[in-house]
Amino acid sequence: MKMLRRSLLLLLLLPGLISCGGSQPSLHRAQLLSLGTLVDVSLWGASPRQITEAERIIQEELDRIHTTLHAWQPGPLMEVNRRLAEGSWFHCPPEILPLIEQGKRLYRSSGGLFNPAMGRLVGLWGFHSDDLPGGPPPSADEIDRFLANLPGMEAIEIKGEQIRGTNPALQLDFGAFAKGYAVDRIIERLRSIGIRNAIVNAGGDLRAIGRHGERAWRIGIRQPRGEGVLASLELGEDESVFTSGDYERFYIYQGKRYHHILDPRTGAPARGASSVTVVHREAAEADAAATALFVAGPQGWQDVARRMGIEQVMLVDDKGNVWMTPAMAARIRFETAQKPRVTISEQP
Amino acid sequence: MNTPLVTRGDWLVLGASLLLLAWLYATLWSSGGETGGQLHILVDGRELPPISLQQERTLAIDGSIGTSTLRIENGRVRFLSSPCPGQQCVHTGWLSHGGEFAACLPNRIALQIGGDEGRFDTINF
Repeated sequence: MKMLRRSLLLLLLLPGLISCGGSQPSLHRAQLLSLGTLVDVSLWGASPRQITEAERIIQEELDRIHTTLHAWQPGPLMEVNRRLAEGSWFHCPPEILPLIEQGKRLYRSSGGLFNPAMGRLVGLWGFHSDDLPGGPPPSADEIDRFLANLPGMEAIEIKGEQIRGTNPALQLDFGAFAKGYAVDRIIERLRSIGIRNAIVNAGGDLRAIGRHGERAWRIGIRQPRGEGVLASLELGEDESVFTSGDYERFYIYQGKRYHHILDPRTGAPARGASSVTVVHREAAEADAAATALFVAGPQGWQDVARRMGIEQVMLVDDKGNVWMTPAMAARIRFETAQKPRVTISEQP
Repeated sequence: MNTPLVTRGDWLVLGASLLLLAWLYATLWSSGGETGGQLHILVDGRELPPISLQQERTLAIDGSIGTSTLRIENGRVRFLSSPCPGQQCVHTGWLSHGGEFAACLPNRIALQIGGDEGRFDTINF
């Protein structure tokens, strides 16, 4: 019975050890309303100086991306678009060139389903506005005319820092991956000031590094239809979670929903999916892939994921059924009272 | 000399251990932060004083483009109405757990439920 007495001693010591250990959780959480986006930032174990610096960095990067890449307000991107339409060589601003280069790569790997060169089509549907359009949608004639000469990213030639456009209909709109690009830059800069544990969630899309103290960061993925959280997952040391959904920007015209994710093959809002969630390391790639896979829809997403090297995908179709890669299925946990119908793809 | 296999002291140890276990369970597990207690409201970047979620009420908050209405009941909160065109804030529905948040960007109003130990650290959408 000596064993029992010893265990009493241990048990009496235990509460003391616990209270010495984790009584001061050092989570700092803040919401920043930056131009057009709500940023939810969580920092674990950061010093007051790092917190102040981190908030400054986030504000600065988002403001910079917003002014540099605005697709319908006068600024650097509009000027680049004007000169691309002219067709002669010109010097590309250094803050835009890396986006064009990365945009070309992602355009190729997505088989053209991620196409930041079709800004004119986005405008045609009325989405180049701070207020949502009320319709009517563009006529079939207008769409056909655009598709007859559909510009892709191959219509931009690059020679060093010089670029030129070869299709006058080309108009860049980085809406489908500017946020991811900004989040990557923010994480890089947070690391450079010594922050090891953080989540940067820009308007619902996020990249997380490190951990929440002793445990992994936990993420909830919102239902594309209805309310609340559909599923959750715990993140690794450095992962991005991006979702493209038809509920983000849309209008209803004569009872029909028109959303902002356009299919370059039809010139119209992509049909078949309600949302696509991608987990990947780099945020910019996750962002572009979520768009491309949404456009590909329930039938084509697996091929596009393979081409783009994206291993973790969850697609919710317009009937509420869930389609997943095995790698995503292995870690996702449904949070709904009734589990949706799930189909797991055979190949990653 | 024969001593009983289990002495009075041993029973005391057992009893104390069980009490301790009950105390540990109560303090470390049962208050796992399933529901948040405080609502934080951010209006145009400024935080209003935190509001308890335990008291049922409807709040009108003036934002950049008009008035948003919030409803608090049973420890949860939601946007009831907002002057924005997209109505994403209203569609977000009820927030009840620490860490959950919702925002009306056009009206520059953001809500977050306080509490470090909510079910989720952040929400993807």
